[in-house]
Amino acid sequence: MSATPIPAAPPVPERPMPAPTRESKPYWDGLREGRFMLQHCAACGKVRHYPRPVCPHCFSMESSFKEAPQGGTVHTWTVCHHPFNFFFKQQAPYIVALVDMDAGVRVNAPLRGMAEKDLKIGQRVKLAFEPVDADVTLPFFTAA
Amino acid sequence: MAHALRDTAAISGIGETAYTRGTQKSGLALQLEASLAAIADAGLSPRDIDGIIPYFPGGGIAEDFVANLGLPDLALSAFIPMGGATCVAALQTAAMAVATGVCKNVLISVGRTGYSGARVSTRLQQFPQFALAAEFEAPIGMFAPAQLYAQGARRHMDLYGTTPRHFAEVAVTMRNHAILNGNVVMNKPLTVEDHHASRMISDPFRLFDCSLESDGGAAVIVSASARAKSLKKPLVTIMGVAEGHPESPASIAQRPDLLEFGLVKAAKRGYEMAGVGPKDMDVAEIYDCFTFTVIRQLEILGFCKTGESGPFVMDGRIGLGGELPINTHGGLLSQGHVVGLNHVIELTRQLRGEAGKAQVKDAEMGLVTGYGDMGDGSLAILRRAA
Repeated sequence: MSATPIPAAPPVPERPMPAPTRESKPYWDGLREGRFMLQHCAACGKVRHYPRPVCPHCFSMESSFKEAPQGGTVHTWTVCHHPFNFFFKQQAPYIVALVDMDAGVRVNAPLRGMAEKDLKIGQRVKLAFEPVDADVTLPFFTAA
Repeated sequence: MAHALRDTAAISGIGETAYTRGTQKSGLALQLEASLAAIADAGLSPRDIDGIIPYFPGGGIAEDFVANLGLPDLALSAFIPMGGATCVAALQTAAMAVATGVCKNVLISVGRTGYSGARVSTRLQQFPQFALAAEFEAPIGMFAPAQLYAQGARRHMDLYGTTPRHFAEVAVTMRNHAILNGNVVMNKPLTVEDHHASRMISDPFRLFDCSLESDGGAAVIVSASARAKSLKKPLVTIMGVAEGHPESPASIAQRPDLLEFGLVKAAKRGYEMAGVGPKDMDVAEIYDCFTFTVIRQLEILGFCKTGESGPFVMDGRIGLGGELPINTHGGLLSQGHVVGLNHVIELTRQLRGEAGKAQVKDAEMGLVTGYGDMGDGSLAILRRAA
């Protein structure tokens, strides 16, 4: 008599993870250290995000990353109900806020600890850090 | 002086497969089936095709067309990686190729297994244009256009008072039009209440604000107008055509104005080339990946002022018999999703007088748009030759 195969548990869905590039590595390294690091042009000083090789204002290829303030105001948001990736099924519905950071760039990240009904464009929020594993820390927002 | 490209190229052939949810055919097979239909519609032989612009990624590449259709001398093979803006932007590349004599007949084609193959969140992660979204936004839970575009729609609602009722009007109108067309995925009536009761996908987008995941193929042939005149079907020329790319093209999040689409630039150049304006249009086929996308494009195209497009779509204005019939085939929302090449096909049918029950009376001129990736845009203005 052949053994009845034990049905395998469905695979745990994998969280999509960032694959840092040569340009973006300092940003991700910063998050892991609890710091919000942004790329600044070494020639004209302007900030840019997401990280890239050339300054679109003065075309300098020299840049450095500097720690930036973690506050910002809500530019807009969405509430994700349908999990397009199964990993997020248990979290849905979740709010993703697009925030005008005081540092002059935007960050898109989950907004936690606030109800949707209390949310308004212009709301003050602050960046927080969620370690996912030894290498990767992801940003999220909380009420300021 | 008229623009050198105005009216020099024509849509000489159109072809489609059945639009379905579920197929055994590959994306390439669907693309070839539609291509053969378009070639036959033009009265050409596959041997006459000497330029290929396949929608990419998905379906086949030029090599597949040479192998399957025995093309003797392919002179142009191009990809246009602009997502939903690709097909209308491809008209510009094709028009340039036939106007300059590089090619005689350029085939633009799409084959898509959006229902039976890879779904949207998987598909997009493979696009080079989505690399920034994959690195910075997918890990925090933003994958799909429904999520990425929802934030812009929220801004429009907050700034201008646009409402879900306006979104619903677009969805219901597209459905009404689809029901008149024999080749659609969605052929049952839809009400405003059905729209409001449908499940939330990414607030403010509900299920019926979102375009279909469907299977199908579509193709058009572009030939020089002088050549197309002697072919099988009534002459429909490309009066004006343009593509446009917004600031921060690969990331909506970093774009200063989330409601700035590449169509802002494309519309200006497209209208200029054609020498006409929005008031000259008898019909408009507008890329409808989401109901809101139609609403915002109406403003950019100059049919109404920014902030007024919600009220503009009401009271039957965008339905058949209205002031500006939109998506007379049912669009991506109700006919099927072949990345908007079905919009080019429908406009051509309208201008030939082949649109059946959805025919706009005496349609002589119309426009078709593309919208894609993170906001690339394209516009073509077509007219029936006098």
